[in-house]
Amino acid sequence: MSADEFDPFVERLFARTPAMPDAALFTARVEQRLQKGSRVRFLALSLAGLIGGAVAVRETMNVDIDLGARDGVVAGDALGQGIQSASLNIQSSVQYGLEQVGLANLELGSMGGMQLFWIAAGVLIVAAAAGVMKLSQEV
Amino acid sequence: MTQPLVDRHDVELAALAAAGGRREFGELVRRHGSAVRALLRRMGAQSSLADDIAQDAFIQAFQRCGEFRGEGTFAAWVKRIAARLYIKRVAKESRYVAEIETEDAAPVTDHAGLVDLDEALKALSEPERLCVSLCHGAGMAHPEIASALNLPLGTVKSHVKRGLDKLRARLQPEPAQSLGRTQHVG
Repeated sequence: MSADEFDPFVERLFARTPAMPDAALFTARVEQRLQKGSRVRFLALSLAGLIGGAVAVRETMNVDIDLGARDGVVAGDALGQGIQSASLNIQSSVQYGLEQVGLANLELGSMGGMQLFWIAAGVLIVAAAAGVMKLSQEV
Repeated sequence: MTQPLVDRHDVELAALAAAGGRREFGELVRRHGSAVRALLRRMGAQSSLADDIAQDAFIQAFQRCGEFRGEGTFAAWVKRIAARLYIKRVAKESRYVAEIETEDAAPVTDHAGLVDLDEALKALSEPERLCVSLCHGAGMAHPEIASALNLPLGTVKSHVKRGLDKLRARLQPEPAQSLGRTQHVG
């Protein structure tokens, strides 16, 4: 067999695949990994939506989150302080990032609380909508 | 009435998978999983490693399904993804530097007297096997292989040539006997 005949012959051999007995198992594993990845994304988006919703409710109502019973007020205060602290951290991180890209004059601190709230709420609503769309495609 | 997945073309399934269709992508995995796994084994990967990389390749293919335009076959596209993942692994371990000495042996056929590529590939050194598989199995051009393996083009060409020479010496197919007992997955 000449080289001209042999090269296509080898390509044909490569194109033909012996049947594998565990092919179904392999397919199931890939599908399982895809499903797992999708579930993690869904949970992450849901969690982000919940946190965003809690922040939004808190900012809108301008009250501490009351978890129901009187005993829960302490927990509600703690949660409120935690959210406030997280908000400040995020604000300072964003400010630092803006400074890095030369937008230091854009001071988030000068923006009103409601402005920041609406920006954050908008971002979270978009993220939640994307999550719902993704989920609806997969169901 | 919805067309069954088994009746749909790869390009159509890939488009649906790009929109998030996991079931459609599962059908593509069912069709081409064995081909990708076999290629990786032929490139020199152990069975378990080949399966892990093949899984990674399909996950990556699902994430990048929108990039598949149907210019070549879906199987070829995933094979190239898998080949590149394997090359990365090999490069990390610098395995292709190591030469495996092999002895000359009789022509390779299975019990039915059919050509057995997998057995014949064992006669090749690791770089030869890798280069031949990338060239003839994954459909990569010599310069592409050279770039992926970070080897000079001349070295890749000589690996492919020597590998094919060894395969020719070992396979020596009889026209009537060749290419049986296999499943085309193209």
